[in-house]
Amino acid sequence: MLRSSNSISKTRFWIIIAFTLFIHIILAYRFFQLQILDYDIYTKRSNSNRIRAISIPAPRGLIRDRKGEIIVDNYPTYVLFGIGGDIVNKENNYSVISKATGIDTLILSKNYNKNFRNRFLPTKLAKDLTIAQLSRLEESKNMLTGVIYKQFPERIFNPKIRASHVLGYLKEVSQDFISSFESSDKYQHGDLIGWSGLEKQYESILRGKKGVSYFQVDVFGREAGKVREEENSLPHPGKDIYTTLDIELQELLEAEFEGAKGAGVVSNARTGGILAYVSAPDYTPDLFTGLISQKDWEFVLADTNKPLLDRVANGTYPPGSIYKMIVALELLENKKVTKEWEVFCTGSYEFYDRVFHCWSEFGHGKVNLQKAIVESCDIYFYQAIQNVDLNSLGLMAEEFGHGNKTQIDLPSEMKGRVPTRGYLNKLYGRYGWSEGAMLNISIGQGELLTTPLQISLYTNILATKGITYPLHLVPSKSKLINIKKITDANWNFIQESMERVIYAPRGTGRKANPEVKGLKIAGKTGTAENPHGETHAWFIGYGEKDDEKISVVIMVENGGGGGDVAAPIAKNIFKKYFNSTDFKTASK
Amino acid sequence: MFSELLNKIKYSPNLILLPTLSLLILGLASLYSIAIVQEQPPPNAFSKQIFFLIPAFLFLLVISVLSKRLIHKYIYLFYGIAILAVIYPFFGDKVSGTYRWINLGPSLTVQPSEVAKWIIVITLARFLSDNNLQMKNFNSIIIPFLIIIFPTLIVLNQPDLGTAFVMMSPIIPMLFWVGAKPLHLFLILAPLFSILFAFNVVVFYLWAFILGLIIYMSRPKIFIGLSLYFGNIFLGLIFPLLWNSLRPYQQNRVLTFINPELDPLGAGYHIIQSKTALGSGGFLGKGWGAGTQTHLKFLPVQESDFIVSVIGEELGFIALFAMLCFFAWLIIKIIILAINASDRFSGLILIGIATIFLSHVFVNCAMSAGLMPVKGLPLPFISYGGSFLISSFMMIGLVLNFGREEIY
Repeated sequence: MLRSSNSISKTRFWIIIAFTLFIHIILAYRFFQLQILDYDIYTKRSNSNRIRAISIPAPRGLIRDRKGEIIVDNYPTYVLFGIGGDIVNKENNYSVISKATGIDTLILSKNYNKNFRNRFLPTKLAKDLTIAQLSRLEESKNMLTGVIYKQFPERIFNPKIRASHVLGYLKEVSQDFISSFESSDKYQHGDLIGWSGLEKQYESILRGKKGVSYFQVDVFGREAGKVREEENSLPHPGKDIYTTLDIELQELLEAEFEGAKGAGVVSNARTGGILAYVSAPDYTPDLFTGLISQKDWEFVLADTNKPLLDRVANGTYPPGSIYKMIVALELLENKKVTKEWEVFCTGSYEFYDRVFHCWSEFGHGKVNLQKAIVESCDIYFYQAIQNVDLNSLGLMAEEFGHGNKTQIDLPSEMKGRVPTRGYLNKLYGRYGWSEGAMLNISIGQGELLTTPLQISLYTNILATKGITYPLHLVPSKSKLINIKKITDANWNFIQESMERVIYAPRGTGRKANPEVKGLKIAGKTGTAENPHGETHAWFIGYGEKDDEKISVVIMVENGGGGGDVAAPIAKNIFKKYFNSTDFKTASK
Repeated sequence: MFSELLNKIKYSPNLILLPTLSLLILGLASLYSIAIVQEQPPPNAFSKQIFFLIPAFLFLLVISVLSKRLIHKYIYLFYGIAILAVIYPFFGDKVSGTYRWINLGPSLTVQPSEVAKWIIVITLARFLSDNNLQMKNFNSIIIPFLIIIFPTLIVLNQPDLGTAFVMMSPIIPMLFWVGAKPLHLFLILAPLFSILFAFNVVVFYLWAFILGLIIYMSRPKIFIGLSLYFGNIFLGLIFPLLWNSLRPYQQNRVLTFINPELDPLGAGYHIIQSKTALGSGGFLGKGWGAGTQTHLKFLPVQESDFIVSVIGEELGFIALFAMLCFFAWLIIKIIILAINASDRFSGLILIGIATIFLSHVFVNCAMSAGLMPVKGLPLPFISYGGSFLISSFMMIGLVLNFGREEIY
C-alpha cells in the first residue's frame, strides 16, 4: 500500500487554494453587505419584528359652565385589543379572555372581525372593562399572545342638563377623514373626533396630544419586557373650555321645553354670551359616548321630530310680529310716518282684490305706531308699508343681523332669508309678484326666514340700542357691533314700546312679566303663520336689574299664540335668573 | 510502544488544533448565550455539547494515532458497514420526519451519514491510489463516481439534501488531484446545468452551444460525443415537461425551495429572520447575550443551522470575519498538508476532508446569509449536534494522522 506517489502539478494545487479563498471571500463579502451596507434596513426590520407601539390616549379637555361647574367630564374605561399578527391562536386567547372576564367568545370574535384593519394595528375586542375583569386578565397574561388593553377616556355628562346640540358629540374618525387630513399622523384609526357642537368647534383645544408607549414581544407575540432604547412619550391632556352657559338656567329652559318642539336662547344682552341654548326635542348626549351603535343611530335618524336638528342655529322660521320693530325703525328713520300718524283698524284690510286680516278679529280702532307695536296691530303696518322700499327695508333688517350668519362659535348655522326686489323677481318673475307680498313682509311673514339664533342677536341689539358683542359660547376677543344709523330718539321710542308690550293693560306680552322687584323688562310677541300647520309662538324680550341685562328668545314650533305660549316661558327664565342671589357675580 | 504513540502525537501537525479550538470556543460562547439568556435549564444545547466533547476528543486521539495501514486495509469493509448504517434507519420509524437517525436508546440517536462522509472519502482515496488509472480516459472516473453516488442517493432519500451535497462534493477535487481532465469533471456536472438552464429558452440555447463546443473541442469518439450531447439536451427538454405535469402546490414547493422569499411565512420566514439577525448585528454586534432576534426566538433552529446568525447578531461582522479567517486557515492548512504528503492515499484523504469542511462552511453560511435555499447543514465545530461534532473531530484526527511527516 501507500506506494503510489503523491504527485500533483503546482497549477492544480494553486487552483484548489484559489477556489477555497474565493469561497471564503464570497461569504465575507456577503456578511459585509448584510451587516455593514444594509445595516439600517435590517435594524429597522429587527425592531419592527419585536417592538410594538401603543398609543396612550390623551384625556380630552373638559367643558365647563360660566361658574366653572363641569358639564362634560371624562371617566376611564378599559378597552381590550388584539394585535392580528401576534394573536397566534385566536380561539385559545378568546377562551382565556372569556374565562377571566365573562365575555362570550362569540362576541370577542365578532368584534375582532368587525374591527380588524390589519395585522399590526390593535383590533378592538371588548370595551368598558372593569378593574376586576382586568386584574383577572392580568393573572392569566402568560396564556395570552398579542392581547393588550388600553385605558380609554370616555365622555360623561352632567346629569342635570342635556344641551346636546351645543355640546355635540364624538365620533370615530372615518378612513376618508384620516386620508383627507393633511398630516395623517394626527388622527389614527379608532380615534374619536368632535363631530358636532362645541366638541367639533374646539376640537384642537380639547383634544390634546396622544402619548406612545413601547414594549417588545417575542416571536409568539407575548410581551417580553420594556424596550430600552425608545423613550416613551407621555400624553398631553387637552385643555378645558369655559363656556358662558349657566347650568341652572339651561336646566330650567330644558324643563320648559319638555315635550314641546321649538327653540330657546338666553344670552347676556351686552356681552353676547349665551346662558342657555335649547333645541327641542333633543337627545341624551350619552347616546354618542364612545362608539355609537348602528341601531341607536338609526332610531334617532328615524324620529320624525328630528331630534338631531339644531333648531336654534339651523332651523329657519318666519319671525312674525317680532319683526315689526325693524319695520317701525325703517318707517321712522326714513320719515315715512310720524309717531302720531294713525290708522283705523277694523280687523281687516282690502288691498286691491285681496283681504288682509288683523290677528284681532274686531279690530284695534284708532292705532298709532306705538299702539301698533304694543297690541301688535297688523293693519297699521299694511298701510304704512306701502311707502317703503323693499330693498331699503332689507338693508335695515341686515343691520340687525338678519340674512347673515351670527358667527357664533358652533360648526353649523343657517343664514335665513331677507327678501329683496331682486330675490322676488327671481322667484316669481318681474311681474309675478304684487305689492301684496310687501304687506306680508311688513308683519314678518311671507318670504322672510330667520333662525332663533339670529333673533337672539336681534333682541340683544334692540336691548342695547345697537351696542353689543356677537353671540358666543366661549368668550374670545371679538369686534363690537355698533349700529350708528338709528337716532337715539328712535331707539328710545322702540324700547319704550317694547316695555309697554309687557306693562300696558292691553300689551300682548303681559304674561312674560315675572314681577321681580327692581327688574324692568321689555319684549315683543309673535304668532307666525306657516305652511306646516299651527302657528309658531314667538316671544323675544330683555330684562335689566342692577345693570345686568339678559335677553330671552322663545319659539315654540306650532305652539299657538306667542303671548299665551311663549311669553310664560320667558317669565320663568327672568324670574329664575334675577331671583338667584349670585346672577351678577357669576358672570364676572 | 508508548513512546511510539507519543512520537506520533509529537510529530502530528498539531497547529491545526488552534483554529479548530478557536472555532469551538466561538460556538460554545453562542450556545452559552442562548442557554443563559433564554433560561434553559440543563441539559440544554450548551451542556450537551460540552458532554459530547469528551467522546469527540477521545475519537480524535484514537484516530490520530491509528495505523494508516490498518485504515487502508479495512476501509472497504468500513465502506460496506457505512452503507448498511445509512440504509438501516429506513427500517425503523422516522425521527423528526426523516430516516437520518439510528436510535440507540432513550435520548441517544446517531446520524450515520456524518461518519459515512469521511469513510467514503477514504474509500475513494484507496481506490484512486491503489489503481494506477489512466485519467485521460473518461471511463476511469466511472467507478469512483459509483463509489460516491451510491451512498449519496441513499442519503438524498432520507431526505437530506445538504448531507448528500457534502457527500458528493469531494469527488471533484479528488479526481482533479489525481489528474482527471477538467472536461470529464465538467461532464459530471453537465446534466445538472442542463436541467437548471432548461427554464429559460435563451440561456438554454447558449448552454447547448457551449456544451457542443466543449464536447467538439475535446474530440471524443463520435458515438460517445453525440450521446453525451443529445443526452444532455434531451434531459433539458424533458425536464420542463415534467415540471408542467406537477400540480401548482408541488411547483410552489420547489419554487420556495429555490427562492424562499416567495413564501415569507414558510421556509422564507427562516431566511428573512436569519438575514435580519445578521444585518441588524452590524459591525460590532448587539453584544453578547443581547441579540433580540435570537433570544425573542425570531431566529429558528438557532443552535445548529442558523448559529452563524446568532454570532453575527450578537458579536457582529468582526466575529464572522474572524470565523471565516479561522476556517480559511484550517482548510488551506489541510490542503498544504495534502500536497506535502508523501503518498497519494494520504494526500487524497486530506483533500477530501478539506472539501467536506469547505462545503459545510459554504452551504451553512450561504444559507444563513440568504445566498442559498435552506438546506439544514451544520457548521463544523460551532453548531450544536453530537454526531456532527464527533465526526468533525474524527476528521481532525484523520488530518493529524495523515498529515504527519513519516518518521519511519
